[in-house]
Amino acid sequence: MENRLEYQQSHLTHLTDAQFTDLLLGANPAAVRAHLEGCPQCSDEADRVSRAIGSFEQQSRLWGERRAASRPLLATQPQLVFPWLHRPQAWTAAALAIALAVGIGVTVRNDHPRAVQLQAKVQPAPAVSPATLKADNELLSAIDGELRADESTPATMYGLTVTSRGVRTRAPKRISN
Amino acid sequence: MQLILDPDMICCVTGEPTLTKLDDIEALDRVYRSRLLRFVAYSTGDQDLAETIVQDCLLKAYNARDSFRGDCAVYTWLAHIATNLMRDRQRTRKFQFWRRVQKTAPDLSELSSLLPSGESSPESQILAREQAQQVSVALESLSTNQRTIFLMRFIEEMELQEICQATGMQISTVKTHLHRAVKAVRLKLGGRI
Repeated sequence: MENRLEYQQSHLTHLTDAQFTDLLLGANPAAVRAHLEGCPQCSDEADRVSRAIGSFEQQSRLWGERRAASRPLLATQPQLVFPWLHRPQAWTAAALAIALAVGIGVTVRNDHPRAVQLQAKVQPAPAVSPATLKADNELLSAIDGELRADESTPATMYGLTVTSRGVRTRAPKRISN
Repeated sequence: MQLILDPDMICCVTGEPTLTKLDDIEALDRVYRSRLLRFVAYSTGDQDLAETIVQDCLLKAYNARDSFRGDCAVYTWLAHIATNLMRDRQRTRKFQFWRRVQKTAPDLSELSSLLPSGESSPESQILAREQAQQVSVALESLSTNQRTIFLMRFIEEMELQEICQATGMQISTVKTHLHRAVKAVRLKLGGRI
């Protein structure tokens, strides 16, 4: 009697939303199975929805595969033997180090013993004896006197004498040590 | 006969963590990109955005590979990352604006030439394409959560527990979204509700 009532109910009403979803999810209890066997409407609909979802799955998979294939794969950069060599900072640091090394080298070279020796070869002029200085000064005074005596102006050509007013005579530069 | 092994199946058999696969970003890309692309493209309805999200997803997974403990399948973990990225994008107003302006939904009709034609007749191929198009249109009418969960279950064939892990939702919530999504798709396919 109970089985008959269940059979009648399953054929009078169609599958509920929950039953239909469970059916699509793979759950297939005896009551649903019995209903589908006797109800072509529900059976057709279940088949149609299931096939439509299957078609969508197939076509969307093809779409995904084609779209993914059109893009290059992600890839990590290959491992470098000396990765620091491929960084611009490394080259900058190397250039600075070279410049620093050259600068230090030049400085050190100036302080080198050989440079000191070269500098030592440049001797100052030997000191002049007082007698030589005195003789030089006398010579310069004599020359200066002769030049002064030889000075002639247009006035002397007419037999006139010119006083040295306002004219500053400069003593000859004396040489000293 | 060629035997094709799914990497996930190998992991299940050996029980070993999949860290070696995650260490190779190229393999990660090759195995999962198409699946992720399909999932994200139909979830967001925007194939260009999907490209960006999938790229971010793969890079994020690769960078965070040490945090993957192997509690779930690699795809479930990737789907979780992708879902979070989609949520982040959809929250921004900028995204909503541009989505309205230049939405580029995947077009299944361009795949007619790619459909396998071995057994089915041209008529049945056309019918299959129309049905797939109807499902695609029905998906657009769903809410984001309903659409994501429908895709995870029926297209990606994930178990309910895996969907819970990927979305962070309770199983009752997942079932509710799934029921509503199936109802909408049935309605679109001419079912009697």
